[in-house]
Amino acid sequence: MSFPPASEQTLGLLAEVRANRSFVGGARRLVRPESPHRASLGTAFIGVGAALICGIRAIYGFSWFVAYWPSYENPLPALAAWVLLIIVLAAAFITASIVGDRLPDWMFAVYLVLLAAVIVLDLVAIWDLHDIGRYATASLTAAMALLLVITLRRPVEILMCIVAIGLGLLTAIAVNTRLTPENASSQITSLAFAVLPVLIGIVIVRGFRSMVQVELDRVMVQSTVSAPRFAVGMMASEELARLDLAAEELLDSVANGEIALPLQPKTASVAASLATELRLHLIEGRRETWLYHAITESELLGRSVTLTDRGSLAGLLDANQRDGLLAAVWLLVNDHAKKTAVRTVQVVVGPIVATGVAAVGHKLRVPIAITTTGVPRNRVDPSTWDAIRRVGRYSDSSQNASLRVDIECFVDNPADL
Amino acid sequence: MDHILKERDRLLQRTARVYGLSFSAVALLCILVPGAVTPGTYLAALPFFALLVVGQYRVGVSRSLVWVFAQLLGGIGVVLSISLLNPGELGHAAMSTISQLTAAAVASIAVVLTTDTTRIAVLGFSFATLSAVTAVATADSQSPVSTVGLITLGWVLSSIVGIWINAGVPQAARRIASIGRAHRAERQASEMEAQRRQSARLLHDTVLATLTLLAHSGVGVAPAAMQQQAADDAKLLRQLRLGATPVPLSSGGYNLEPVEETVLGTTLESVKQRFGRMGLEVSWHGTGQVLLPSDVLDAFLLALAECLENVRRHSGVTEAHVTIVDDATTVRAMITDAGVGFTLDDVDSARLGFKESVVARLKDVGGHARLFSEPGSGTTVVLEVPR
Repeated sequence: MSFPPASEQTLGLLAEVRANRSFVGGARRLVRPESPHRASLGTAFIGVGAALICGIRAIYGFSWFVAYWPSYENPLPALAAWVLLIIVLAAAFITASIVGDRLPDWMFAVYLVLLAAVIVLDLVAIWDLHDIGRYATASLTAAMALLLVITLRRPVEILMCIVAIGLGLLTAIAVNTRLTPENASSQITSLAFAVLPVLIGIVIVRGFRSMVQVELDRVMVQSTVSAPRFAVGMMASEELARLDLAAEELLDSVANGEIALPLQPKTASVAASLATELRLHLIEGRRETWLYHAITESELLGRSVTLTDRGSLAGLLDANQRDGLLAAVWLLVNDHAKKTAVRTVQVVVGPIVATGVAAVGHKLRVPIAITTTGVPRNRVDPSTWDAIRRVGRYSDSSQNASLRVDIECFVDNPADL
Repeated sequence: MDHILKERDRLLQRTARVYGLSFSAVALLCILVPGAVTPGTYLAALPFFALLVVGQYRVGVSRSLVWVFAQLLGGIGVVLSISLLNPGELGHAAMSTISQLTAAAVASIAVVLTTDTTRIAVLGFSFATLSAVTAVATADSQSPVSTVGLITLGWVLSSIVGIWINAGVPQAARRIASIGRAHRAERQASEMEAQRRQSARLLHDTVLATLTLLAHSGVGVAPAAMQQQAADDAKLLRQLRLGATPVPLSSGGYNLEPVEETVLGTTLESVKQRFGRMGLEVSWHGTGQVLLPSDVLDAFLLALAECLENVRRHSGVTEAHVTIVDDATTVRAMITDAGVGFTLDDVDSARLGFKESVVARLKDVGGHARLFSEPGSGTTVVLEVPR
């Protein structure tokens, strides 16, 4: 059997485990890019919308094709382009609804080749008319046909394809059409109509995915609200089980003589580190509160929230207060308006303030201070205040041009329970 | 649901911004084609263009309808400037500018105007106003029917974008909520599993003791005894892994279910065997049938084992006596040895781990420990826990 490399520094080991926790957390497990859940979380529906728009665009393009019919010297290639395009669009639509969330590479390649064929056929048909911007019909719809697969491939791939198609059309226009004030605008608008819808589509799909991701993150963190006063994180039982298993294997090997006694120094140090880690886990696991787990498990909060809670007082908050506090911190951190601005939030819970004799129902007074950087007072989402109000009475001020909120939170005294 | 609606609005706003700005750029390119419009038109149209672009930018971050109307006003302003300052039939470039503006750039506001009835009303009003003004203004150059047709197409497309995103969000929200529920269940399961493992404290204490021996390469203990000990502990760990709870589970400290008598007997016996293998003979006296709540039992046995470990390490003798007596309120254990003993003041109690491992753990369950010793006359520890 084999053992992990021995380490005397088991505390360091634990710190590593902690640092890694954010990468193996539950939230991440479900939103990995290769996760099969991805497209089914509403993006498939968005894909159908994109197909609808593409279909309307195709009808519009086709009606122009019919209108231009008499202008073609040889309309056959253009007709072939349209027939091929309609077949490809129909096939792509059906395939997209069958394959689910990801188009296999070879299908995508075939699709691109067919679209390229449509564009080439259309350009061949109108080449002698020397006004691509005006007469191009099937080729522009073909560019937009990337919308059909926009949810099935990575945005960067779609982006590369549409840029390639755009450059191709631009080159064709540059070679074929002599620009005059009369025809320049139709070249511009045709190119824009081919490229922009797909670019906008990419923006929408990316936005939708990040919305889903943020919401998933929040919903998962939300589950900490119902946790007991001290909770183990999502990974605690796994880590403990891993340590137990490692100990079991080591002891087994000793018992059946696979490992000779007395032990080699290397194996002995493995035993030492196992013992230390196990001991730490048995006492450490229950020192952390729901808030700590919420912050470490969330991708969004973990990046920008720091928590100071020496007395583990956050655990005393009731479910409503927890929900409010979590929502407030969430709203302070999650503002998309300025992506570049770095927002950080520090939450300091406690220490307990001695209350007067008149304290209602022997409650404990726990002050919570939320200090921020990069959050101007006037940019705070209004619902943040509602959330904070659920935690307790608050006063807000500005500190270094950023918001600071002091909440006076009353909790049940655990000694009374 | 509230959160995701906010996210949805942000997505719609950002989409409208990108949509609007990119087609405004196209319209701007068209109007810049040489000879598209008379030079004076640029001067008149520029402020309206600026209003349009500012409106489009602000729509990206603000839900206010002001920026929607700013765009509408800007768009109408540009259309009127072009048609009023360019008498006669408009050229291709001018017409392209107008259609890009009306059917795409300004139409982008439809994306943010599909979420509630007020906004849909604003959408209808904006569309009607813009198409009417444009149809009249360009009547000389293009038949109003095709003007209105083109504008309608543009607004329909952008409304579809808005409606579709809008309809996709509740679907996603429902699925996300169900994932959230699954996650909560997973968290509870994880919590319970961790609790089960952590509650197996007695088991972990013996495992830790064995691991500690192994960490010192097992020196000082007979190999056969060491192997036996390892086999016992591995078996316990296997039981734990396979779902059994070798020690009764306490539920948040409120499990007052008495421990079965046989369990205590067996546990005392296993403690005795463990020390026997390590070279300390433990003689048992008094009652073996004590009923204790499981957390008290844990603490009691742990403290007992810790005391015996101290005897093994420090007393210099190989025999210890444990006497267990109980009355109506307390269970008492006396651990006695005839070893070297020590002066209480001399010994660094932290080194013995006595305070931490014995006193503190007993105190947790309402018990306490007393220590009696004199150099040369052995040591006696009295452990007391409430029944």
